[in-house]
Amino acid sequence: MSLVTTRPGTGAARPYAFPVIRRVTAHGGTIIAAHLPGQILASALLLLDAGAARESDGREGTATVLAKSLEEGTRKRDSAAYALALESLGAELSPAVDWDTFRVGVSAPGPLLADAVRLAAEAARTPKLDPADVARVRDDEVTALRMDWAQPGPRADAALRADLFGAEGRYSRPLHGDPTSVAAVTVDDVLAFHEAWLRRPGVLVVAGDLDALDLAALAEAAFEGTSGELLEQSGPLPVLLPPRRRTILVDRPDSVQSTLRFGHRAPERATPDYVPMTLAATVLGGAFTSRLNHLIREVKGYTYGIRGSYAMSRRWGRFEVAAGVQTAVTAPAIRDTLGEIARTQAEGVTEAELEVARSWRAGQLSVEMQTPGAIAGALSTLVVHGLPDDYYETLRTEYLEASVEQVSKAAAEHLAVDSLTLVVEGDGAVIRDELGEFGELVDSDI
Amino acid sequence: MTSPSAPVATTGYPWPIETTRLANGLRVVVSEDRTAPVVCVNLWYDVGSRHEPPGQTGFAHLFEHLMFEGSQHVKKTEHMKLVQGNGGSLNATTNPDRTNYFETMPSEHLELALWLEADRMGGLVPALTQETLDNQREVVKNERRQRYENVPYGDAWLRLLPLLYPEGHPYHHSTIGSMEDLNGAALDTFKAFHQQYYAPNNAVLTVVGDTSAAEVFALAEKYFGAIATVPDIPAAPDGSLPGPATEAVRESVTAKVPAARIYLSHRTFPFGTAGYDAVTVLSMVLGSGRGSRLYQRLADGARIAQPDYIGAYGVDLAHAPAPLIITATAKDGVSLETLEAGLAEVVQSLIDEPVTDDELNRAKALLTTAWWRGVSTVGGRADLLGRYATQFGDPATAADRLPKWLAVTSDDVTEAARQVLRPESRVTLTYVPGEPS
Repeated sequence: MSLVTTRPGTGAARPYAFPVIRRVTAHGGTIIAAHLPGQILASALLLLDAGAARESDGREGTATVLAKSLEEGTRKRDSAAYALALESLGAELSPAVDWDTFRVGVSAPGPLLADAVRLAAEAARTPKLDPADVARVRDDEVTALRMDWAQPGPRADAALRADLFGAEGRYSRPLHGDPTSVAAVTVDDVLAFHEAWLRRPGVLVVAGDLDALDLAALAEAAFEGTSGELLEQSGPLPVLLPPRRRTILVDRPDSVQSTLRFGHRAPERATPDYVPMTLAATVLGGAFTSRLNHLIREVKGYTYGIRGSYAMSRRWGRFEVAAGVQTAVTAPAIRDTLGEIARTQAEGVTEAELEVARSWRAGQLSVEMQTPGAIAGALSTLVVHGLPDDYYETLRTEYLEASVEQVSKAAAEHLAVDSLTLVVEGDGAVIRDELGEFGELVDSDI
Repeated sequence: MTSPSAPVATTGYPWPIETTRLANGLRVVVSEDRTAPVVCVNLWYDVGSRHEPPGQTGFAHLFEHLMFEGSQHVKKTEHMKLVQGNGGSLNATTNPDRTNYFETMPSEHLELALWLEADRMGGLVPALTQETLDNQREVVKNERRQRYENVPYGDAWLRLLPLLYPEGHPYHHSTIGSMEDLNGAALDTFKAFHQQYYAPNNAVLTVVGDTSAAEVFALAEKYFGAIATVPDIPAAPDGSLPGPATEAVRESVTAKVPAARIYLSHRTFPFGTAGYDAVTVLSMVLGSGRGSRLYQRLADGARIAQPDYIGAYGVDLAHAPAPLIITATAKDGVSLETLEAGLAEVVQSLIDEPVTDDELNRAKALLTTAWWRGVSTVGGRADLLGRYATQFGDPATAADRLPKWLAVTSDDVTEAARQVLRPESRVTLTYVPGEPS
């Protein structure tokens, strides 16, 4: 009696298909819905062209304060009555702000989704926004940001963003603002942001069993009483790379780990190089067996995990490596990380590595898209980046057909190890001296 | 619009379940669902930190790491490469009760996943080297730094456990364990730990998704059938306790934290009992969502607690009375004493003020959505069935949980509160900002 010694082969694969998409245009807005037969839950996400990029200088965080004020009561009911009405449907509101959109999401059992969307729209379109409530929410948000900024990471992220996007206005500041900018947000800022951007119809993405959902009723719930034309989009930002590397130290006295955030700018999400770039980053730092995780975690034992990836929005992208490493090995960990980035940039990827990356990315389109929430998120990517309905089928094919040459070329063109900004958040008293070897060292004022 | 009552559910598991047991004792659970071309393979091993003897704390969790480092026919690093390189997602977790391993794959790779799991169940020990052990000890130390030591309040759970459970109780020590114990043990001690607990008769294999019971049963026999039964696996120490604690306990921490925070905790009932079902509903009424009593009274009403950091939740442990944890963080200018008095008053209200129909319906509606969200993936379903097979002997009983929650009455909640939330059984852990002493 013994274990089976040889690895089994692969069975017959079923063809991949993204759920069937239906569209309804009514009351000035559009519904884009994906059919998930048999799903008990359904998700809806209202997408409004009102992302953080629309905030004013020095008032970064206005949209986030608005998002958190939506549930402080509507013109119809106070905050306690609103919470009871929504939560009695089994739904909770998740208003969120990213660079490109303001999103208001709800999930509920299918038969209750229309009522949940009606309540979500009531909060998004007609919130009470009592000045005293808005001021209190603003103050709470300042406190919440201070809580968040006491964790390792947010200060390093802010320092990296300021350095990469220093010339790009709003994009140089954190997505949700910082404690100072949020403290400066006024009640009038919040009211004006709502008036300007949240009364427009937008797009409602829906995922669930469409045989049990009334899309016309959902459209009425989401769009009735709205007005305004589609807004003009600005083009992508140029990819500016500095001539040399620099290191920024964010002091965190007594820290037992150094938080690493390395990055440089890259193209926006709609770039034609998206697939080879993603695969290159997967080989370098995306999969568990990636070059970075293998060396820094599995061979050296410096970290619990390290990742490298491209983050992309409508107008810009960036390459980033993120990790927490033991304080005592900060410099060796940085040296090894830069070595792997340089190697990938110079030599590209191998067929064996690319085979893992291709199959993983393609398989994830089925494995990680099972729930209504995940499908709604996938639909929102189509909306925000102007991608076609058959995008995911095409994407899967492109992943599977990408060649070593294409991916190595993308690594050479979109990795720039000598232009990286290296942000290190850690115990300055211990690590400062050893950071000198990586180029010009400056202290962060964040 | 009126608020409807929670939707009626007669079953929380409307999918088929089929089971078998191999001759070596491995239990196999299959739930077919052809909706998507994906399949999840999940193994529950009945070994958690509660099984660890003194001097071996952290062993169960370290094994969760070692299980990804190669086995008899799978080279080091190959496990991850084969799962991800065939499109899959994988992970593993350890808690006081058990250790679970799972991968969701495109369904054409079902057989690969079963082969990988069988090889590390039956063939880990021959492949385990000193180098791998040393490396993964370092990774675990980094995990401890990252998750517990380098974040404000990160050690709260490590501090609560010994306050909740007496010395010698299987839940007294944390799953991450002691670094001294991990450092002190030799390779052979770890090998012995695997040979003791990673046995077919100590595991449940659950497969959910795009396959059939007949196919899985045959493949289970093919890959796991040769692994030998391990006789006389020692049970974990008895976790039963005479009742709620009889003396309040308190620990005060001064640390680099941004605001004062309080954790109140009580031992309640074991997960799976009627008492714990009532506590599950109670925790929603008390601390889940903006309509909860904690939010309404302390964040929205008295405005002494930060709205983003208030809540209550049970930790679903099955082998001893499970903890309920209640937490709030002070707003600027609010003293710890004020916050604690406010929290105590809201907790006491569950004993003194009956839960209203609106509160009960809200709690049940939120639990209903949470339940269906949990089973909306093949991975969520596989873990659920593995849990009920391991802890209650029958995966089909998973279907009863949601109906049992929905049958909890206002009186049940009050009675549970009366039994387990009394101040004299309370553990209080407080953090205040300052230089650590």
